[in-house]
Amino acid sequence: MPPLDPKSGGRALWRSLDDLAGDKAFQDAVGREFPLYADEMLAPSRREFLMLMGASVALAGMTACRRWPVENIVPFSHRPEGYVPGERLQFATSYDRNGAAIGLLVSSFDGRPIKIEGNPLHPMSLGATDPIAQGTLLQMYDPDRSTGLFERAGQGEGTPRTWDEFAVWAEPILARHKASGGAGLRILAEPSSSPTLLAQKKRLESVYPQAVWVEWDPLTRDAEREGARLAFGRPLRRHLDLGKADVVLALDADLFMDDPAGLSHTRAWARRRKGEDGVMNRVWAVEAGYSLTGASADHRIPVQSALVPVALGRIAARMLRSGLTLSAGCEGLREAIERFESHAFDDPRLDTIAADLLAARGRGAIAVGPRQPAAAHALAMALDAALGNSGNAVTYADDPEPARPGHLEAIAKLASDLSAGLVETLVILGGNPAFDAPADLDLAKRIGSVSQTIRVGLYDDETSSLCRWQLPEAHYLEAWGDARGWDGTAGVVQPLIEPLYGGRSAIEIAAYLAAGAWTPGYELVRTTWSTRLPAAGFEKAWRRVVHDGIEAGAAPALTPVFAAGWGGEVARLAEARQLGGDAMELLFAKSSAVHDGRFANCGWLVELPDPMTKLTWDNAALLSPSDAEALGVKAIGDLVTMSLPGGSLVLPAFILPGQAKGSVTVNLGWGRSRAGRVGNGAGVDAYPLRTAASLWRAEAKLARTPGSAMLATTQDHWVVDTLGRKEEQVRAEELIRTGTLAEYRAKPEFAREMVEVPHAAPISTYPIEYNGHKWGMAIDLSSCIGCAACSIACQAENNIPVVGRKETWRGRDMQWIRVDRYFEGDPESPGLAFQPMTCHQCENAPCEQVCPVAATVHDHEGLNVMVYNRCVGTRYCSNNCPYKVRRFNYFNNHKHETAVSMMVYNPEVTVRMRGVMEKCSYCVQRINAVKIPAKNAGRPISDGEVVPACAQVCPAEAIAFGDLNDPHSRVRALHDDARCYGVLEEINTRPRTRYLARLRNPAEGKA
Amino acid sequence: MGVAAIDRRDVRDNLGDDPGRRAPLVLGKHDNATITDKVCRIVEMPKPPKAWYVAFGIALTVTGVLGAMLAYLISTGVGVWGLNKPIAWGFDITNFVFWVGIGHAGTLISAILYLFRQNWRTGINRFAEAMTIFAVICAGMFPGIHTGRAWLDYWLFPLPNQMAMWPNFRSPLLWDVFAVSTYMTVSICFWYMGMIPDLATIRDRTTSKLKGAIYGIFALGWRGSNRHWHRYERAYLLLAAIATPLVLSVHSVVSFDFATSMMPGWHATIFPPYFVAGAIFGGFAMVLVLAVPCRQWFGLKDLITPRHLENMCKILLATGMMVGYAYAIEFFISWYSGNPAEGFVFINRAFGPYAWAYWTMVFCNVATPQVFWSRRARQNPWIIFGVAICVNVGMWFERFVIIVTSLHRDFLPSSWNMYFPTWVEVTTLVGSFGLFFTLFLLFLRFLPMVAMAEVKAVLQKQHHEAR
Repeated sequence: MPPLDPKSGGRALWRSLDDLAGDKAFQDAVGREFPLYADEMLAPSRREFLMLMGASVALAGMTACRRWPVENIVPFSHRPEGYVPGERLQFATSYDRNGAAIGLLVSSFDGRPIKIEGNPLHPMSLGATDPIAQGTLLQMYDPDRSTGLFERAGQGEGTPRTWDEFAVWAEPILARHKASGGAGLRILAEPSSSPTLLAQKKRLESVYPQAVWVEWDPLTRDAEREGARLAFGRPLRRHLDLGKADVVLALDADLFMDDPAGLSHTRAWARRRKGEDGVMNRVWAVEAGYSLTGASADHRIPVQSALVPVALGRIAARMLRSGLTLSAGCEGLREAIERFESHAFDDPRLDTIAADLLAARGRGAIAVGPRQPAAAHALAMALDAALGNSGNAVTYADDPEPARPGHLEAIAKLASDLSAGLVETLVILGGNPAFDAPADLDLAKRIGSVSQTIRVGLYDDETSSLCRWQLPEAHYLEAWGDARGWDGTAGVVQPLIEPLYGGRSAIEIAAYLAAGAWTPGYELVRTTWSTRLPAAGFEKAWRRVVHDGIEAGAAPALTPVFAAGWGGEVARLAEARQLGGDAMELLFAKSSAVHDGRFANCGWLVELPDPMTKLTWDNAALLSPSDAEALGVKAIGDLVTMSLPGGSLVLPAFILPGQAKGSVTVNLGWGRSRAGRVGNGAGVDAYPLRTAASLWRAEAKLARTPGSAMLATTQDHWVVDTLGRKEEQVRAEELIRTGTLAEYRAKPEFAREMVEVPHAAPISTYPIEYNGHKWGMAIDLSSCIGCAACSIACQAENNIPVVGRKETWRGRDMQWIRVDRYFEGDPESPGLAFQPMTCHQCENAPCEQVCPVAATVHDHEGLNVMVYNRCVGTRYCSNNCPYKVRRFNYFNNHKHETAVSMMVYNPEVTVRMRGVMEKCSYCVQRINAVKIPAKNAGRPISDGEVVPACAQVCPAEAIAFGDLNDPHSRVRALHDDARCYGVLEEINTRPRTRYLARLRNPAEGKA
Repeated sequence: MGVAAIDRRDVRDNLGDDPGRRAPLVLGKHDNATITDKVCRIVEMPKPPKAWYVAFGIALTVTGVLGAMLAYLISTGVGVWGLNKPIAWGFDITNFVFWVGIGHAGTLISAILYLFRQNWRTGINRFAEAMTIFAVICAGMFPGIHTGRAWLDYWLFPLPNQMAMWPNFRSPLLWDVFAVSTYMTVSICFWYMGMIPDLATIRDRTTSKLKGAIYGIFALGWRGSNRHWHRYERAYLLLAAIATPLVLSVHSVVSFDFATSMMPGWHATIFPPYFVAGAIFGGFAMVLVLAVPCRQWFGLKDLITPRHLENMCKILLATGMMVGYAYAIEFFISWYSGNPAEGFVFINRAFGPYAWAYWTMVFCNVATPQVFWSRRARQNPWIIFGVAICVNVGMWFERFVIIVTSLHRDFLPSSWNMYFPTWVEVTTLVGSFGLFFTLFLLFLRFLPMVAMAEVKAVLQKQHHEAR
């Protein structure tokens, strides 16, 4: 027996407190514990002694096999309400990006957030999210985030510091500024909708009256704000309710994915695309680059961005001629509008648009994109008012910060202050101005010239490298905060986890700067909300807000009155000229993946194919086919040089049908140098070409440069020859069956008759009956906008790895649900159709028959299940899958996992090893998470309880999932819908995922 | 008189087509002793010729490279190859089908020609059978290593296990496992059994004790008694009867991998006969590739006579035309069936991005064998060798075309992609030739490369007839 006395050697392990105390009673109890052997140990005979010794020696080695680690299991003294270890819990929070928030519900397992979903209560989310919001989860777990405080003297990696050391450094400086009223203090922040941050800003302004709070947003939407200022004399926010719009005109505007209210727009728009009652809305898009709105539009006119206001002017002129009267205050515009009639640019379809808008008076909306000048916005506002759309689909509300100067104006002022030496201390709260500020302001150099620079950021990035202090910022999932949606709905930001790297939020740091002492974020937020919520019953109301994530009530709509005297501004729009020859307009655009560059290190987003180009890991110069031909660009990836007065840039070209002729789009945010392991060197940085004067649009000369870059696309790998392209056209028609509203009215089941499906014979002589559940999915192509939120939601839910540029280039992308994109018609002005494609869970699955080890089989609820453990990886199933939705782990995709990056995985889903096939499972873990409790409770599962990740995230509600055996389920109804058809049904796969034909509503019944 | 004259002519050449008499199968003035000498000498040489060492050195090095490639592949993942989706099979399965095809000629020569009493087979059957076995070894390797988790390949066998899991008997890949392993087993039996009398001859002649012991063990106590010969002949006939259907079944089953799938370009009923014809075609080409130099270097021109070569050329011509017919009928059916996906695959094969591979295949397999209509071409070893190499290249491309061009543009255009092999795949293919030649060179050195006993049998007959 080993001695029980801890002092006699070995590790001090003890069994209980009594043991530790050497309690007599415990010693006795030990004696009693082995009563059988007590005698042997006390008085052994020689034989017994030898026997025992022999056994002891033989067994002694076994005790040395393992040294048990000391583990402290500390029980909750009070278990949090409703918390069950190992169960998914959801917490409400909000995510603010560029000053507009959406509400979220974040799933957490044992204190580990693993999945982001939209908050159904939040009007800016309605349960959905965009792809980027999904990606923020991976951003939080990014091992390349700034891991601590660093102080830099000049270049280099900096010296690690603590918050106390920072305080020691900062206190005298802040005291000095306080004494001087903050004259040399500048705070450069990214836009935020947080009421608490706004409160801290006010505090700072009172402590340092002469300090300046500068707000910079590289993707600024100030043009609309300025447009309202022009039209109404004060900045206002314009809101669209697409549910009330029969006719929508989108001018260089992406209402779906490049709009702070995009999710609600998508939802409202999609609900009117079903054609069930014989009515649909109609969208006209006039734009240069192909946007998601353009893709969903019933008509799209590719026009150079500079000519978009002319198009609007011509439409306005046509409407005036047809007898439209301008509203009070806008009469002066008539003359300006008539000037457009003599402009060289014209398109017969503009007349149709005018007629369409006139016919839908009070039921239309004109949206202008952030790239367009303020006057174009103002003109659209005037037309909406004249058409009676204002107050219906178009409403206005107060700007939350009417006194804020424009972003460009503010940052230009800061740059001049910096060069004038007026700035002693510069605090940079978030953002990445050294990377994304207009190039001619030369902000990077100017920041470097200030000696006292404090930078608060998630990453130690381009800006941090220029600053003396890098303070780690807490991610929004790590800190308390609050945020307002674009419509004004306020919500609380609730932390899901302790800051991984000891970061602090912008709110806390701003409060510290104002007060000189640290206040927890929770207190700051609560303080703010104590003024927003009624004092009586505050605690209850506060708990309600934290629980729900939002405070009900958007900013009230108001009826603004037009100011006078801005006709001249509108008239100037008519001076825009069409570019031609070798001069092209260069358009800067937000990247669907990395946004303004901040998500460059988020593998999910970087590898998420761009909806239009299907390009991953890179940006490119998007050219129309005719421009590409003129330039000698033959294949995607051929290099082109863009020359601007301010500099030139070599980047790969991408031929995008539908790009306006004479217009080249480049996505911003790529080509980061200090993004991290994922983002460094991905793409080309276009910010150096972007100046204050040409924030969105510049004139550039393009030329072909010898050489070519490897661009990784997930569709149209390599140049598809004429033979292939022709076939693609033929097949696309059968895959994405499209009809006009008129055709649908005449024959609702038109889609079913497009392809002859052979008579269904029984699959087996032993027919399988699904007596319990029979899961199925329906995807409505009429409402899908192709945003690819489903792809990334699936990636997050199902632990799908990121494989990298080279692997994507090879065609080994792993997303379980992809969005196929097909062009239709004339390559210069093509239509575009999307089709989400994932495992069809075929009843007669080709993959199941060919697997030699039965690793993919059918279950009793109709799921085609993949048994990872059994898979040996012959890949035969993938070859035989007509939908090509199976994904193979060619390598160990989890080789470089760190302790932090592993935390993002959903514990309910296996992380697959190399050599194993994987695919969509209809989120079987979610099915079981509903099924088991329902079974325990002895109740049936109601429709809508089981929601796979793709269906959950879809802003357009295009994906429906449920039990086909339930006669009242939504999916059953959709499968029985006249529009419903199965892709490749003719080869007798009997897919469980079926599609609803895409409906278009072209003017005069034709596209 | 005349008989004597013919006799003399036969010593030089057996290409005559006199319907009145059989052409001799062995040239030169040979009797049992000289044949034994000629064949055994190769094995009994104290040292093989320098050329053998050079060849063996190269082959062994290449085999070493193969080993390194396999180690790299299995330690890193199948991703070191150029596969992707939709092209999940590339060089791996192409090589598999190619080598299985090569492995057809041996058993065909041994079994089918034996049953048809084609006595000319005796000169070539032994090394054709050896070639078969080595080719099947190379072939068997590829499905084994192409899996994502090669260490679990044994799951493909119906082994009893604690999970009571059977493999999926509906999967053609499983049929492959059975077909190839059966074929391998029967081929080895057939080869070894046929070799027993010859092994005994070597045993009896050798002066080395060690060799005597080893050959003795493998000769299974053969004494050449009447009873032995009787049993031997019976067993040989039986094995030939068992092996004959296998010749047809193996490649039919291999073709099921494709034919039973859904992929346009694969899903075709013509595949089994088409594959068998192709396999015989490719196998005979490989026999020629090996026979032409071997008979030269090892002085076996009397045993592997020009008539042998000519006969094989005729088979090449015939099977080449069968293959050509299959190519044509595939096109016809794809049009006649009215299946647009099927139609596109074939147009894409001939005119799409892999057209070069398709036309290489057509040129090598259909055009080049046509030279064998000419008698002179059939008798010129250089031309024979060249055409045979061409046919091997063509047959490799046939499998490449079938696999890659069908997969690369399948049902949904969104998935279309191209396949580019990596250096690892190319080196693995080269390495498999290294393995093949290493084994073959070892065979040449240590085992009788011509079936002496059988040749002696036809020699007797010839003498008898001549008399």
